[in-house]
Amino acid sequence: MTAGRDWRADPEAGQYTDPFWDALEADRFLLHRCRDCEETFFPPAPVCPRCGRTDVAWVEADGRGRLVSFTRQHVAPPGFEAPLALGVVELVEGPRLLAGLPGDAAPSLDATVELTAVEYDADYDRRDRSGRPFFAARIVE
Amino acid sequence: MRIGGATLTTLKNEYGARLSTPSGLVVAVHPIGRGMTVPVSVRYIERSRSCGANSIRRPFAPAGQNSTRRGGAVKPPRAQVRAGDRHVPTPHVAGVATLPNGEYDAPERDLALRVALDALEAADCPAGALDGIYMPKPRPWTAQGLFSTLLTNLLGARPRRTVEVYTGGTSGGTAFRTAVADLRAGRAERALVLAVERTSTVETADYFGYVLSLFDREFAAPAGPSIPAVYAASARRYCHDRDVDRSTLAEVVVKNRANGAANPRGLFEESVTVEGVLDARPIAEPLGLYECPAPCDGAAALVLAADGDPPDGAVSVVGVGGRHAASHLLGPRDGPLYALPAVEGAVDAALTDAGIDAAADLDLLEPYAPFPHVEAALTEAVGLFDRGAGAAACARGATATDGAHPVSPSGGCLGRGHPAMVTPLLNYAAAVRQLRGTAPAPLQVPGARTALTTTEHGHVDGATAAVFRRGSA
Repeated sequence: MTAGRDWRADPEAGQYTDPFWDALEADRFLLHRCRDCEETFFPPAPVCPRCGRTDVAWVEADGRGRLVSFTRQHVAPPGFEAPLALGVVELVEGPRLLAGLPGDAAPSLDATVELTAVEYDADYDRRDRSGRPFFAARIVE
Repeated sequence: MRIGGATLTTLKNEYGARLSTPSGLVVAVHPIGRGMTVPVSVRYIERSRSCGANSIRRPFAPAGQNSTRRGGAVKPPRAQVRAGDRHVPTPHVAGVATLPNGEYDAPERDLALRVALDALEAADCPAGALDGIYMPKPRPWTAQGLFSTLLTNLLGARPRRTVEVYTGGTSGGTAFRTAVADLRAGRAERALVLAVERTSTVETADYFGYVLSLFDREFAAPAGPSIPAVYAASARRYCHDRDVDRSTLAEVVVKNRANGAANPRGLFEESVTVEGVLDARPIAEPLGLYECPAPCDGAAALVLAADGDPPDGAVSVVGVGGRHAASHLLGPRDGPLYALPAVEGAVDAALTDAGIDAAADLDLLEPYAPFPHVEAALTEAVGLFDRGAGAAACARGATATDGAHPVSPSGGCLGRGHPAMVTPLLNYAAAVRQLRGTAPAPLQVPGARTALTTTEHGHVDGATAAVFRRGSA
């Protein structure tokens, strides 16, 4: 567990979420954990959404989770190819997130998935995250 | 279909479906005062049976001069609730106006003026007597900015407060609650709440760009989601966990489309069957075209008054509430994907505010439920039916207009069309018409006295609720 950056201390040092993207480059998926109540949460922010305290830290996720639900979107935004498979993943640590479901494997509810870093190829302007990898969920069983 | 002299046309909604819709403009030129003309022929003026000219003591007095706080020989607001040493007035609906949902060629300005003037005329309230104007901020593709200021100038109003608020689908509800709060607090005696939207003007790419901007742009938007996609995810989970078939859920669509087809202000003239719902083109699996709301153009306005004793039979706003869950489009942090803690909180607050024990005591609901499982889950969340029993209750007619708990008799988002910024006001208008007994005949709930409305935004992340009652509390 590493300390979360106190963005108030040095706003010139970069964005609060920089460590997440730096870790994802190395295929590591970071979450946040509250040192007070031990809530693990995502997206990362300098405050615990459970207890409201700000003593939070980066922790590395196991990377596996459960497919809470999924859809295949037949009308996709410009820059994305339809049909587009998306999943709602609940990580083993608890947080829920949205992720693409690449590949041909047929999803099923409660399937085990694994987060992976992927090269980002959609034509969507991620602004200062452009060129960074993104993440997707791979069905493992 | 012809509505009020409107002409038929067709349009494509964002999903590419062709819809029959009234195009209500360019049929006639209707003068609207001060020499301005607006080519709007469709008029639905409804005078409150409870608010005539006599209820405004000095109808052309500048805003504020009727105020009890400014002294003079004016009688105090009607006291229904005592808060500390101050009597809290109960606002009533003095005027309502809506345009039929459809596609309009005129700019938003003209649609807004039409409903504003119709509602003010119905309320016998000149614009100069308004204390406040409250509206959703038109969405980003609306060409006109600073909309409420333009409107205030064109109306010749001199309100103490104008509010343009944007909180997604709850925007109209937030504007309405703000108006009610000002009326209750004595900061205003007459308030205009209005909303206008034209989705027909937005290019598909721009619309999707807007939708992506609603998601967390760093951690969710890059995956390419749409709003139907996240509702599709919660629908799938709801059906699985609650053991509900999609065909049963389709009954919600069938009921709302039938209601909407009987509503002359609705977008569609045709109803659908369960088979039609199940076989429709997929949008975001498992949701098909008819399980998604159809964006369209629309406008609506209400004049709320708290300036004296409302005449007998007035429809009053007796309860308001709101809640936001700790969530952002992916379900609440501490509940299943389809849980509705924001709705539960908002409705509970509104019912408590109204002094009503349970939603089951209400005569009807006009919820903001853009997808069928949301309506089903909402009827469960507010306690009308057991968990997982909402869709089956609909299938057996319990939420039909003549059922035990009528839900969306106007057709709601799915059956009436969905100009999202306007939908909250359309729900208020539908509720008021029900309580006045002026709803379209086949949709009228006989003897209705109380109605609950809701709004929501995101993936039901935030919600508002309002309770209306006919007659004295």
